[in-house]
Amino acid sequence: MSQDRFNAYRIMWVLVFFDLPTETKVERKAASLFRKNLLKDGFDMFQFSIYLRNCPSRENANVHIKRVKKALPKHGKIGVLCITDKQFGNMELFHGKKPTDLPGVTQQLELF
Amino acid sequence: MIKRTVYIGNPAHLKLKNQQLLVQEPLGDVKGSVPIEDMALLVLDHYQITISTQVINSLQGNGVCIVTCDAHHLPFGITLPLYGHTEHSERVKYQLEVSDPLKKQLWKQTVIQKIKNQEALLKLNNRVHEPMEMYRTTTKSGDTTNTEGKAAQHYWKHLFPDFQRNRFGDAPNALLNFGYAILRSIVARALVSSGLLPVLGLFHKNKYNPYCLADDIMEPYRPFVDKMVVNYVNNNGETDALTKEVKAYLLGIATQDVWIDGQQRPLMIAVTTTTASLYKCYTGELRQIKYPELD
Repeated sequence: MSQDRFNAYRIMWVLVFFDLPTETKVERKAASLFRKNLLKDGFDMFQFSIYLRNCPSRENANVHIKRVKKALPKHGKIGVLCITDKQFGNMELFHGKKPTDLPGVTQQLELF
Repeated sequence: MIKRTVYIGNPAHLKLKNQQLLVQEPLGDVKGSVPIEDMALLVLDHYQITISTQVINSLQGNGVCIVTCDAHHLPFGITLPLYGHTEHSERVKYQLEVSDPLKKQLWKQTVIQKIKNQEALLKLNNRVHEPMEMYRTTTKSGDTTNTEGKAAQHYWKHLFPDFQRNRFGDAPNALLNFGYAILRSIVARALVSSGLLPVLGLFHKNKYNPYCLADDIMEPYRPFVDKMVVNYVNNNGETDALTKEVKAYLLGIATQDVWIDGQQRPLMIAVTTTTASLYKCYTGELRQIKYPELD
């Protein structure tokens, strides 16, 4: 019995980057709907227009990528990136000049 | 995919926001949110937890098992959805029509695998395991000679020194109880997701027990809990206190890897393999329930 199968190379992070036009009322509505759909799918805001989601497996990540593709708005630029937990953990983050912590790794067991 | 276990042991409001489970402190600070579709088990272990109907609905819609705990912090109630499987009523029909001889055969397989796993655990800890083989090989259909009980007597006598297995007994009984209760909810959840009624057991038929089948099916899985408790006691000494750390450790039972059907799988997945094979036994497609092996 071991727990190493739930490891850093299996867990995936899906990142969604977007720039959506907000000139007209219709465009603003489409943009906020897209954002709302991301939140409903379990994505969290990382920075403005960058959202990310932790997925326990590649298969699960594919499900969520598919959902993002389904919710794409008519206009605007959107990027979807899927990386392993290991790669995600190598990211360097700063607040001003001060290094900050990465968003916490999602635990299989969460205690509140 | 291995799903998440969420344990709440502090006062909290649980509500739905953007279709996610939002955990909020009573004063309003958000402690976090969890996607409901990623969850399998929600353990509620505090009297000051409030939960909205919307959350309950959403949890049940996603097949999440809600476990509530009593004053002793032991799991007390299990909430499961009725719609666990699309073919639910057809599957229940098969389950109701199962013949007694088949039930007895399946119970025999269950007992044999349980004793096998107990034997493996004794062997692992260098304890006397020879009599177990005799019990295992002499198990009859329906276990009419009660080899299960005889094996258990030997097993508990040798697994821990000076120990009596009793629901209200001394350490580490409390740890075992907690582990078994979590295991039971995992098994009940898997049964429902296979479209079976947890009420109708193979062997257990106590009229006050609503989870007879879960109690049957979890038997071969019990030694996995025992193994975790043995390891815990070896590392930390005998303890009866169900601290947060102990519970976190025992809740990890869901992700422990086990060997089943020639593959290594997390226990939570293995249980669904077992319940799926049980249904196939009911329909006659299989003759053997698939159970995990303790190595």
